[in-house]
Amino acid sequence: MTIRELADGLRAEILVEGDLTREAETGYVGDLLSWVMARLPEGAAWMTVMGNLNAVAVCSLKDGACIILTENAALDEDARRRAGMEDIPVLRVEDGAYRTALRVAALLGETA
Amino acid sequence: MRELALNVMDVAQNSISAGASLITLTVEEDLAADRLTITLEDNGCGMTEEQVRSVIDPFYTTRTTRKVGLGVPLFKMEAEMTGGSFSIRSQKGKGTVLSAVFVPSHVDMIPLGDISGTVRLLVTCNPTLDFVFRRTRDGREFTMDTRELRQILGEDVPLNDPEVSEWIAGYLEEQTALLKEEM
Repeated sequence: MTIRELADGLRAEILVEGDLTREAETGYVGDLLSWVMARLPEGAAWMTVMGNLNAVAVCSLKDGACIILTENAALDEDARRRAGMEDIPVLRVEDGAYRTALRVAALLGETA
Repeated sequence: MRELALNVMDVAQNSISAGASLITLTVEEDLAADRLTITLEDNGCGMTEEQVRSVIDPFYTTRTTRKVGLGVPLFKMEAEMTGGSFSIRSQKGKGTVLSAVFVPSHVDMIPLGDISGTVRLLVTCNPTLDFVFRRTRDGREFTMDTRELRQILGEDVPLNDPEVSEWIAGYLEEQTALLKEEM
């Protein structure tokens, strides 16, 4: 499923377009950036509340497919700009990480 | 990082890469003021003003293997997330001083972790470099200086000798316990 399809399915707000044609392979949830930095799977849709430049750097470093800001978390201006430069889509949803992860898993057809 | 000690390890690598021969790590705890200050000072090659500005940018790195460097940006963020502050001063050819102030009572405070382990590892893995580790807590303090250790050990015993490493571990543990002992 592409990031655009995922965004539609989640009825997410698209804050940064980036590469919306990229496939989301799986999902990942985490807010402690150093932790995520060691674990974010390549091609994952990453759900977090961290909308800062460091988060964009982590996503870029690990080649995540997109950032999904949960619970309407804010996106810093420099992060928005950089995500655009890096072609990383940033979506935003109202739900918390738990409910968002459930919905992402359902859309991607993943089960526990 | 899960522990600030791991972050210190990461940031200290920058000093080593900068060709420092002496690295001073200071950890100051002021319980009454609710402050934890970590300062890392080196005599490495230093940075220009422009480099200092860019080092806090995660998309800046001196490495060529990847385009992102997160050691300093994360350290800064972790300090600021607790309501603390971060500063970096550097002079080309002289060295760099990096200082992070944390507010330990803040809910987002990351534990200091095994800072003694970090010091021991830095010394053991870089036996030709000198390290000064100074830790203070409400007026009490101790210092470990590898230049002093070298004088006592003489030239034949390297700092990465297993027995020396064991001694360092024991010394730091004992001194840290004394620091934390009830008055």
